[in-house]
Amino acid sequence: MTITCQDEKLILDKERAIFLPKYQLLAISDLHLGKSAHFRQAGLQVPATIAQTDLQRLSLLIKQYHPKTLLINGDMFHHGLNTDIDEFSAWKKQYQELDFLLIKGNHDRLSSADYAAMDINIHERSFCLGPFCFIHQAPNYTEEELYPISGHIHPGVTIVGKAKQRLKFPCFYFGKEYALLPAFSLFTGLYNIYPKASERIFAVTPKSVLEV
Amino acid sequence: MDQTKTKGYKKIKAWLKANKRRPFQFQEDAWQYYLNGYSGLVNAPTGFGKTFSLFLAVVIEALNASEANSKKAKDRLQLIWITPLRSLAKDIARAMRETLLEVELDWHVGVRNGDTTQAEKAQQKKSMPEILLITPESLHLLLAQKGSSTLFRNLKCIVADEWHELLGSKRGVLVELAISRIKGLQKLEKNQFLRVWGISATIGNIDEALDVLEPNLEAKRVIVKADLEKKIAIKSIIPDDIETLPWAGHLGLKLAYKLLPIIEKSKTTLIFINTRGQSEMWYQHLLNIEPELAGRIAIHHGSIDFELRNWIEDALHTGQLKAVIATSSLDLGVDFKPVDTVVQVGSPKGVARFLQRAGRSGHSPHETSKIYFLPTHALELVEAAAIKEAAKTNNIESREPFIMVFDTLIQYLVTLAIGDGFDDKVIYNEIKNTHAFKPILPEEWNWVMQFITSGGDSLSAYTEFKKVEKENGLWKVRSRQLAMRHRLHIGTIVSDAMLKVKFISGGYIGMVEEYFVTRLKAGDNFRLAGRVLEFIQVKDMTVVVRVSKQKNAISPSWNGGRLPLSSNLGSVLRKKYNEALNKTHQDEELDSVYPLFLLQEKRSHVPRNDELLIELINNREGFHLFAYPFEGRLVHEVLAALVAYRLSKLLPISFSIAMNDYGFELLSETEIPMDESIAYEVFSPKNLTEDITLSINATEMARRKFRDIACISGLVFQGYPGKYVANKHLQSSAGLFFNVFSDYDKHNLLLRQAYDEVFYQQLEEPRLAAALERIQNGAIIITHPKSFTPLSFPIKVDSLRENMSSEELEQRIARMKAESEKIK
Repeated sequence: MTITCQDEKLILDKERAIFLPKYQLLAISDLHLGKSAHFRQAGLQVPATIAQTDLQRLSLLIKQYHPKTLLINGDMFHHGLNTDIDEFSAWKKQYQELDFLLIKGNHDRLSSADYAAMDINIHERSFCLGPFCFIHQAPNYTEEELYPISGHIHPGVTIVGKAKQRLKFPCFYFGKEYALLPAFSLFTGLYNIYPKASERIFAVTPKSVLEV
Repeated sequence: MDQTKTKGYKKIKAWLKANKRRPFQFQEDAWQYYLNGYSGLVNAPTGFGKTFSLFLAVVIEALNASEANSKKAKDRLQLIWITPLRSLAKDIARAMRETLLEVELDWHVGVRNGDTTQAEKAQQKKSMPEILLITPESLHLLLAQKGSSTLFRNLKCIVADEWHELLGSKRGVLVELAISRIKGLQKLEKNQFLRVWGISATIGNIDEALDVLEPNLEAKRVIVKADLEKKIAIKSIIPDDIETLPWAGHLGLKLAYKLLPIIEKSKTTLIFINTRGQSEMWYQHLLNIEPELAGRIAIHHGSIDFELRNWIEDALHTGQLKAVIATSSLDLGVDFKPVDTVVQVGSPKGVARFLQRAGRSGHSPHETSKIYFLPTHALELVEAAAIKEAAKTNNIESREPFIMVFDTLIQYLVTLAIGDGFDDKVIYNEIKNTHAFKPILPEEWNWVMQFITSGGDSLSAYTEFKKVEKENGLWKVRSRQLAMRHRLHIGTIVSDAMLKVKFISGGYIGMVEEYFVTRLKAGDNFRLAGRVLEFIQVKDMTVVVRVSKQKNAISPSWNGGRLPLSSNLGSVLRKKYNEALNKTHQDEELDSVYPLFLLQEKRSHVPRNDELLIELINNREGFHLFAYPFEGRLVHEVLAALVAYRLSKLLPISFSIAMNDYGFELLSETEIPMDESIAYEVFSPKNLTEDITLSINATEMARRKFRDIACISGLVFQGYPGKYVANKHLQSSAGLFFNVFSDYDKHNLLLRQAYDEVFYQQLEEPRLAAALERIQNGAIIITHPKSFTPLSFPIKVDSLRENMSSEELEQRIARMKAESEKIK
């Protein structure tokens, strides 16, 4: 689905990503690489296939949009280094031309050397582009005149129908003050948001992105 | 061996005689069987000394043995007494200690449960007492201790008290597993004097209860049944005018004034309320209408701090309190002598529970138990009449034991692995001999072992997985952190994360659910333990409060399990509906609700025993279909999903579903196709299993069941009040795991268990099939009331809902959006 925000065109993809055609930039948030392996190390049975699926989804997005930049809006790595991240490093080798750009989130605690070894460009706080400012946790902080796009909370929306029907989805949120991206990783929960009338919400369903 | 010739027996008889008491026949029988090496079950009404029937048996044997045992040894343990409730242990321990002192047996009695202090536990680790009173969870914690395998070397007897309570839950499986391990350890040492006994109230399947406790049919087993009857007087509190009673959704507070004279003329009254939240409101209300009661009534429930509960129990013993408002926290066999009256507020949902609660009064043999029933809504009066009849005919429910609960097995194996470790071949043989896991297949066992050692059946998918590892031939947990986390989560009772509540000046009051606290702002007031508290802040997993100046405040709603109506009660209830209109009965309760039945008959129809009533009501909210099979909430949930599914095969349609114990509702935005032929079709027992599988898949019942399973098997941590700050990096939800396993590990047995639990417990397929058969052979009456009826209204008020749809998701959203611009 294509929308206009701050006079710029944005494509919202059902694989929980946005693409900015003008800048050839694909942005995702909350990738949580290494989360499943971190769970396994702690004795929790989470199959690695879920992390592999995340990477496959990302591959498909890259194939579809041919971005110059892949921006990860924080929480790229869940915890420490582990086999999930080894798999990521191997996977990344096929995208030598693509610029990986990470705005650090609260989970991103690897050493600078580790990021360098994976050839990921780090922005400690934010990355601004045109009218937008990508920042992991935005709400309390706005850079002058720029519209923050953030992630962090894993936004979800519950749709209530007439006969007390309820459906819950991950979503994109475009408010007056800032925007929120859904968490990219499938191995994440949802935090329900309750939008006001003037705010736009786009639910991510298995087949498409729908404004609700 | 004839016990009457033994010195132990003589001593006990002499001691009883000195106290002017004589043993009942069933007690003497139990002692004799015990002495002869039997395991078994004692079944007697409350108040007739069930405890002494087994405790004294062990004492007699000990008095007979001449050798004194070493006081220093770690393996002094002679008797393990398993109690389901913490409050029980203290009382029984007191009685045991007194007895031991008087018969001069130098034994110690220890108590071990969630309330036991660290110092006491350390002391017990150094030197176990001879008698240990313990909950199933704490018994497993004992197995999780290093060096625990030597503790049970000289154990003579395990008693499962209130076995009927444990039997129908996963806690019963915890008991089965612990017994299997202790038996196994004794076998290894070639010591085999262990006898396993249960104490049970009357239940429908008492023989099966014994089979679960002692599954070896070749062992010496016996059921000792007391030939005694407890007299119970049941009285309903009937409103002067039926109009004062609401149709639904109330707490019965309007009738509270009728309790005051009852409390006044009784020595001590126990008032049972079904939920903790409502008990807080009742406490407040009674004080409001009768300020004289201040200081003479108390409130007791599971979320109230241990010290406070202790104080209340002591005050009950000494008769200082005029009345105590309680939840199921005081259900079981605590013997409070001054209690002579019991009040049940709202439907007890089952005959057994009602009788159990009645038994809290007039506790001594030959006294009459007195119980008043206070209805919270009008139709409950019919339930009262039904319960009276069921009690008279001793129509008491069965408790279905759990089988093949892999979550509990996984927890148990990890428990053993953090203790002394285990040999999988040995444990396989042990659990194969329990009732719960008799049907386990070798491949299922292999899967369970893989799950805890390598994560799952595909090695590549679970790289780096670490939990249980082999060390010197035994499976162990090496990580101390993992062991600690596991210890905090032993047990099968899953609740929402609870936070402790503490005064800013110090002193704990109790616990509230975390989600309730998240809605509070500083300065907000809420009610706990009968006090109005002002919320200040949450600090270190503790809710800090001060006493509020306000008189009234909200009560937290604790998410306790809502019990469904039992099938026994359901069938008597249908019969009562039969009798209500034609006045062929003796029940004053039915007389009082007569006007309501007249209204039901006028607006719609009162269903007879062999009829199924369907009401179609159409209003602003949408198109409603109500049906009333009277089979209890759980069966209705499945039945509703089944009917919704079958209707949706006729045309694409979405429903939301609600139910209560009497019937269910399907609510749709489009007209529901319904006539007599469709009704017989959708309520048909044909293709039942297939249709259910298809319908419950859609309604995600399994996902809900998985919540408990994920907690019990250690996938998801529930917080632990004040003791454990959850590791944020390892937080996730059961729902997420359910998705992950459904997508990537379909053969996961925990997933299968979730579906099995839906099928066997929720669905109770035989009961459902019988209900459908009954409906097919009876008449189906369809009415079109203009507004809600006395029967439909309570369902309307009920909020437990879920969805069922055959439409495409996107279509559904679009339509939902178009018809209601409301997003919450």
